[in-house]
Amino acid sequence: MQNLLIIAFLLLGLTSTPAGAATTSWHSLTPVQQESLAPLSQQWDNLPEQQQHRLLRTAKRYPNFTPEQKKRFRDRLEAWSKLTPEQRDAAREKYRAFSKVPAEKREQVKQMVRQNQEAKEQPSASGISAAPPPSKPD
Amino acid sequence: MNTAMNTKTRLPDKNSRHIAPKRIAQLLTCAAQQLDAPTVAALRQARNVALERQSLSKPVFALSTGHGIGWLIPHSTHQWVATFILLVAILFGGVSYWQHENDLSHLDTAILTDDLPLEVFVD
Repeated sequence: MQNLLIIAFLLLGLTSTPAGAATTSWHSLTPVQQESLAPLSQQWDNLPEQQQHRLLRTAKRYPNFTPEQKKRFRDRLEAWSKLTPEQRDAAREKYRAFSKVPAEKREQVKQMVRQNQEAKEQPSASGISAAPPPSKPD
Repeated sequence: MNTAMNTKTRLPDKNSRHIAPKRIAQLLTCAAQQLDAPTVAALRQARNVALERQSLSKPVFALSTGHGIGWLIPHSTHQWVATFILLVAILFGGVSYWQHENDLSHLDTAILTDDLPLEVFVD
């Protein structure tokens, strides 16, 4: 039985190696990885090891993105990395729930969001400052 | 009794410290030859019992037993079953972890490239 315990510890040691591995330095990344993760070049070395691994796994798909997707990916990367793990989990949960909504309704929501964005951009584009939102009575 | 007496009479009392080891061995051999059959049989039996006990008290577990990796191999059905369960559990844990990480990576990619802005999903 003691032998089995030794085997268990050895195997656990082997399986837990990825979690205990050291962080990856920015200079050790491949050119493609550096290109996809460029917005994080400054803070990369300070990111937690697990976050680095997830970002690297995500960046693997970067070469297959369309130019528009590449732009979105790079634009959002910094904001995404600054979120807390709980905020990222919540965002994933929301996305998962949203992807279960029927395509038709999903398109309606997207249309609404686009209209909202256009409405926000229009006043600033025309030089008129947006009116402050009415204060809500407590 | 006579034998014991004979042996005693042959041993020098005063100069016993100066007897050479070879001489002691010769004396012991000589004395052993003079033992009667029941005493020899009793001594032989006692020796056999002592040897049997010694073989039972060998270490149950040692990192190096001199038999290579034989100790790693389960020796009973229970050990085989326990090893199998352990390996299945580790395999299942590994696959689950990999699957979980893969799912997260897919979701992250989708969120970061979706045509809906990031703010829609982040509070």
